[in-house]
Amino acid sequence: MSNILKAAKLDFSLVKPYSKVIGFTMLLPIAFAAVNRSILTGVSFAMCFIAMTTGYTFSVTEKNSMERLYGILPVKKSEMVIGRYLFVAALGAIALAVSLITQPIVLRALGENVALFDMISAAIGGLFLFALYTVFQIPGYYKFGSIKGRVFLYIPVAGFLVTLFLLPKLPAGTPMIHAIASSPALLIVFAIVLAAVMYAVSIWFSVRIMKKKEM
Amino acid sequence: MTNYLEVKNLSKSFDHFQLHNITFTLPKGYIMGLIGPNGSGKTTTIKLILNMLKRDGGEIKIIGMDNIADEQKAKAQLGVVFDTNYFSDEWKAAEAGKSISAFYPNWNPERFAKMLRKFHIAPEKKVKELSKGMQMKLMLACAFSYDAKLLILDEPTSGLDPVSRDELLQILSEYIEDGEHSVLFSTHITGDLERAADYITYISYGELFFSGSKDEFVDMFRIIKGGIKELSANLRSKAVGVRTFPTGFEALVKAEDTGAFAALDIEPASIDEIVVFTSRKEEAYE
Repeated sequence: MSNILKAAKLDFSLVKPYSKVIGFTMLLPIAFAAVNRSILTGVSFAMCFIAMTTGYTFSVTEKNSMERLYGILPVKKSEMVIGRYLFVAALGAIALAVSLITQPIVLRALGENVALFDMISAAIGGLFLFALYTVFQIPGYYKFGSIKGRVFLYIPVAGFLVTLFLLPKLPAGTPMIHAIASSPALLIVFAIVLAAVMYAVSIWFSVRIMKKKEM
Repeated sequence: MTNYLEVKNLSKSFDHFQLHNITFTLPKGYIMGLIGPNGSGKTTTIKLILNMLKRDGGEIKIIGMDNIADEQKAKAQLGVVFDTNYFSDEWKAAEAGKSISAFYPNWNPERFAKMLRKFHIAPEKKVKELSKGMQMKLMLACAFSYDAKLLILDEPTSGLDPVSRDELLQILSEYIEDGEHSVLFSTHITGDLERAADYITYISYGELFFSGSKDEFVDMFRIIKGGIKELSANLRSKAVGVRTFPTGFEALVKAEDTGAFAALDIEPASIDEIVVFTSRKEEAYE
């Protein structure tokens, strides 16, 4: 097993005592999906909520002064950091899987038709939102700790508000934006590439912060 | 003789504290006590050895490996116990071992279970339910489960009752019995050193005061006692530290300087006395 996987596994053991809370966080958005009769809404809420639980690993580490444990384990700081991203990604994947299984069942029971395209759109949208939240949060937690680092949770929210404010003021749009918006496949590829780039930059920042940090 | 720990000219600067040119070696099969008053740099030295702090200068070798270039390999051979537990409070004792076991190729689950039994730690008990002494034993049980060659303990006995302290020292003595393991432990409870340590490294306010065998350290000094009128200027100049009372004085003097004061009461100095006298130049007790 690589050190990155071991580090991710260690993070799983850290949040294990909070598994009930995390489970509830994954299931709560079913209500949002049911109220709005929309899987897109349900999955988006699920991915935003689960992104907020990213701070658990940091708060448990801080509460128990576990940076000392990380300081003595035979593993590189970069591997520890990437392991945490892997753990967060796994948590996101589980939340997405739970949402994509439970929400269509509930929606169909309520008489709604959930097409495959709706599910794919919801999955891509949810994953993108999840990425957007976590890429800012994780370096924030590494730099400022689990309490002050929460501020970084609001960066995507602020970004949305600014985008909503600026969108009507923008010109009709560039040909590239038109092309992406008119092709769902291109939109998916664009979202995946953008998320990958965001994660790469986020990991780079987190590793840099941790390498500079003295424990 | 193989050295398990070599620290050479180690330096580190903070805003209000500096660790200067600390040099010592710990041979295989021995216990070394790292002593000094609070704030003297013991924990800083240990954190530098563990590369938890970045050194400004010097060299550290753990079982022949550079502590930065070969950090992972070196840490796989290292067991560390801090003054407080570093596991999650919510973990059960067995879970603590399981959570870190993957990082150590030599981890032996049977040995871990045996250690828990030996230390009377219930595997199902949560870390937060264990006493401070038991938490320390849990950290030791983990270190013994991957056969850590070098054990580093930072103030392990602080806050422990005398029975737990005695047990810990017994465990450490058994650990080095085979001659294949070494221990570095920092403490300000010098009574522990009298019993367990073979070597002593004494750091005083960031400076290395002494590093060598315990017997050599104790033999270096004598305590001279006498009436207040017997505290001559010559004795004051030779004394490393003086403590005066209304009725008399006690002075710590280097053993080679005691010849001129043979008429006075000369006694061997304890480690505690050496540390106290060298930390305070002169102090009057009313």
